[in-house]
Parts: sequence; structure tokens; C-alpha cells
Amino acid sequence: MSDSAAVRRFAWLSHWASSLAAGWNRVGAQVAFYFKTISEMPTAFGRYGREIVRQVAQMSLGTGALAVIGGTVVIVGFLTLSTGAVIAVQGYNQLSGIGVEAMTGFISAYVNVRIISPAVAGVGLAATIGAGATAQLGAMRIADEIDALEVMAVRSVAYLVSTRVAAGVVVVMPLYCIAVVCAFQAARFGTTAIYGQSSGVYDHYFHTFLNSTDLLWSFFTVIIAAVAIMLVHTYYGYTAKGGPAGVGAAVGHSVRTSLIVLTLIVLAVSLSVHGQSGHFNLSG
Amino acid sequence: MPAKAGPEPARKRSIVISSEAVIKPLRSIGEFFAMSLDTFVAMFKLPFPWREFLLQAWFVARVSLIPTLLLAIPFTVLVVFTLNILLVEFGAADFSGTGAATASVTQIGPVVTVLVVAGTGATAMCADLGARAIHDELDALRVLGVDPIRRLAAPRVLAATVVAMSLVSLVTLVGLAGSFVFSVFVQHVTPGAFAAGLTLITHLPDLILGLVKGALFGMAAALIACYKGISVGGGPQGVGNAVNETVVYSFIALFVINIVATAVFYTGPQ
Repeated sequence: MSDSAAVRRFAWLSHWASSLAAGWNRVGAQVAFYFKTISEMPTAFGRYGREIVRQVAQMSLGTGALAVIGGTVVIVGFLTLSTGAVIAVQGYNQLSGIGVEAMTGFISAYVNVRIISPAVAGVGLAATIGAGATAQLGAMRIADEIDALEVMAVRSVAYLVSTRVAAGVVVVMPLYCIAVVCAFQAARFGTTAIYGQSSGVYDHYFHTFLNSTDLLWSFFTVIIAAVAIMLVHTYYGYTAKGGPAGVGAAVGHSVRTSLIVLTLIVLAVSLSVHGQSGHFNLSG
Repeated sequence: MPAKAGPEPARKRSIVISSEAVIKPLRSIGEFFAMSLDTFVAMFKLPFPWREFLLQAWFVARVSLIPTLLLAIPFTVLVVFTLNILLVEFGAADFSGTGAATASVTQIGPVVTVLVVAGTGATAMCADLGARAIHDELDALRVLGVDPIRRLAAPRVLAATVVAMSLVSLVTLVGLAGSFVFSVFVQHVTPGAFAAGLTLITHLPDLILGLVKGALFGMAAALIACYKGISVGGGPQGVGNAVNETVVYSFIALFVINIVATAVFYTGPQ
């Protein structure tokens, strides 16, 4: 009798422990899935090369309703155009508040490369390619298509997941180049054409402080982020359950998780590359 | 669309198809604005479904709170770290509070909040409404004489707006606290100088701008989610696609609203 009272009394403890264990197991399952995906990458390249090419085409130009507005390329370009324009608007106005609006070009070269372009390109990637992959894989999972693949002796992780991760990394390289150019051009256009700064002043400060090493590091950051984002999104899609609403919920969870992972990656690379010294010399 | 194509020449059919491809997005945009208008009208009709509003507000707040904080802290640290490199090089590390304040209040607060509200709250709303739509539950509501816009969409939009605005203030506070800790304890900025620099170029209007942005973002994301959810078609795959489109369109709307709000604020009379 006292035993059952104790059990009832500490029911919250066992509930708490089991939810903790469930969370811990979920982390383990995710890590195992990521490891499997990476380790099946050679199979994906060897046997399913055509599938990778098909995914690259689908991801860059988009399918369905997203293709109407130009697919991932246009969306990511548009997002970075708008953040570049925000740099022009806010940078110019706040710098002119302390009398150094000539430095807007410098802000564009510095902030765009180090923070905004990698973060925004990652957000665009997660929203378009990533969420699309979750929705596709989730629909396949709840329609039992993935089980059908397994029954037909197709390696479903290699065929569906590794190919998507590889295609995502292939797509992100040209995509990021477009994104950076859009951000630079939008900041330049906003500052020189709308606020009327002379383009010579802008270009001088922009080119003086544009650091090609920084640019390469930001490129590297985006590639790492692309791998992580695709892994997170494919995991949530591959393990979706609970019918149509479950697929929708999986898309939401994957977007949330990949945004957090993206920010942590950008932060970690930024801290470890630039470190305490900052790799930045005003005097030259 | 051309049901009776018959022996018509192929040229004409291709023209019909291309005009359909042009008209279809325009029609969805029109439907979206019509639904938004209906939603706003329904918000002022009594009796307002307060219970649904409270449930949705609690739901959005519950699913968004932790991810918002998890996103806000690293993002603020990233921005403050990058700005401080610059300020230390200028010899103006004492002004790091200034950069932190203007970054968290006007940009990071609203943008981070809405990324999470759109990515978590709006997607869940869209999935919920979409699942109801493909099971004909919305039609059943209409048959019972209940307007789904008034009963479901209006409280959701209002809830997302209120919660987004409240989360902006929380994210701003967390961002300022995080940047204070990082600047003072990691980068050795004087605490007093940090606090004194906070209000140098960031004033009450900037704070109001941040809150207004947050409210606008939350509203836009919820409107898009409700439109996409209610108009979903094509079975289970349709729900997944609708949620995906919700994420994409609400992020695009977020960046557009951000630049318009920022430009209006800074070019207007101060």
C-alpha cells in the first residue's frame, strides 16, 4: 500500500525521466541517421548519379507553385537583395547620424560578407529546398512509398536522402554566389542611386574593405550549413508520421531546428575563424 | 480548362494554356487579399471567438518561446561579436552597447521572432487547417452555418499578431542581456560604458518600430498560413506542399515588410 503511494507520489519523476530518455533517444536516432546518410554517400554517387542530377535540376528551378515565381534561385536572390537594401537604408541613415555616411560601402563589404549573406542564404535554403525535401519525403513516408522502395531492394536512405543532401550542396555553391552579388548590388544601388552618395566614394570604401579571405570563409560556412540543413530536413521528412497533419508538423519542426542549427554554425565558424583578433585591419 | 477543345488547332490551345499559367498566380493573389479582408472584417464582428483566440495564442507562444530564445542568443552574440571587432579596431569599444542596442531593437528582435513564428506557429496552423480542409471538415462547418474564416482564421491571425509583438520585446531583452554578457565578460568592455552607450542612437521610436514590425510580421505570416491551409487541395501531399509554400511566402513577406518598414521609418520625418 505504501508502495503504491510512493509510486503515485513520484509519478512525475518517472514521467520526467521517460520524457528525458525519449529526447535523448531522439538525439541518438538523429545522429545514427546522419551517419548512415553520410556513409551511403558513395552508393548514392555510384548508383544513383542520375537521381542526383534530377534533384539538382528540381531544387534549383523548383517544381509546382514555387517554379511559378522562379524557384529557389529567384527566392534566395530576392531575400539577399532585400537585406542588402536594408543595409543601405539603415546603414546610410544611422551612419549619417554620426556624420560618417561615407562608410556605408564599408558596412556593406563587412557585415554582408560576415553575417548577413550566409545567414540569409541559409534561411532561404531551409525555407525552399529544405522544407520542400521534408514535404516530399514526408508524403512518401505516409503513403508507404519508402517501404515500397525497401521491399524492391532499393536502398532508400542512399536513393532518397543521400542524393538530396549531395544535390543540396551542389546547388548551394552557385546559389551563394548569386546571393552575395545580389546583396552587394542592392546595397550599392540603394546608397548611390536612392540616397545619392557618389558612387566613387561608395566603391572606394567597399573595395578597400572587401576581404577575399573573408568571402571564402563565408562560402565555406554556407556549404557546411547546407549539409546540416539538408540533413535535418531529410531526417524530419524521412521519419514523418501521423498522416497529412503529421507531414505539416514535420515541416514546421524541421524549419525550426534547421534555423537554430544554421545560426549556431554561422556563429561557431565566425568565432573560430575570426577569433579574438578579428582578422580586420583598419590601417590597411 | 478548355473542356470542349474538339478539333481546334493546337496553336489556340497553347495560348489558352499560357494565359491560364499567367492568370492562376494572379487569381491566388486576389483570393489571398479577399480572404485577408474577410478576416479583418470578421475580427470586429461580435461575438468574437475568444476561447479559440486564447488557445491559439497559448499554442503559438508555447511552440515559439524556446526556439526563439535558442535562435536569439547565438544570433545576437554573432552580431555583437562582429560589431565589436570593428569597434575595438576603431578604439571605440565603449560604444559596443550602441551597436548592440540598435541591432537588437530594430533588426534582430523582430526578424528572429518572425522567423520562428512563421517557421513554427504558422506552419502548424497551416498543417492543422490543411488537414481539416482535405477531410472536408471546413465544408462541414460551412454546412452547419459556421464561417471558417470567422471561427478559425480571425482568432488565429489576431493571436499570431499579439504573440509576435510580445515575443519581440522578449527577444530584444534577451538580445540585450546576451550582448551585455558577451561584451563584458568575453570581450572585456566596461559594463558602465556599455549601459551608457545603449541609448545613444536608439530611442523610443526605434523600439516602437521594432514592435510594429513584429506585429506586422506575425499578422502576415498567419494570414498566409490561413489562406494556404484553407485553400489546400490534392490530398496528403497537398498539405506538405502548402506548408512548404507557407514557409517560403511568409519569409518573402517578412523581408519585404522589413525593408518597407525600415525605409518608411528612416525617410519619414524624425
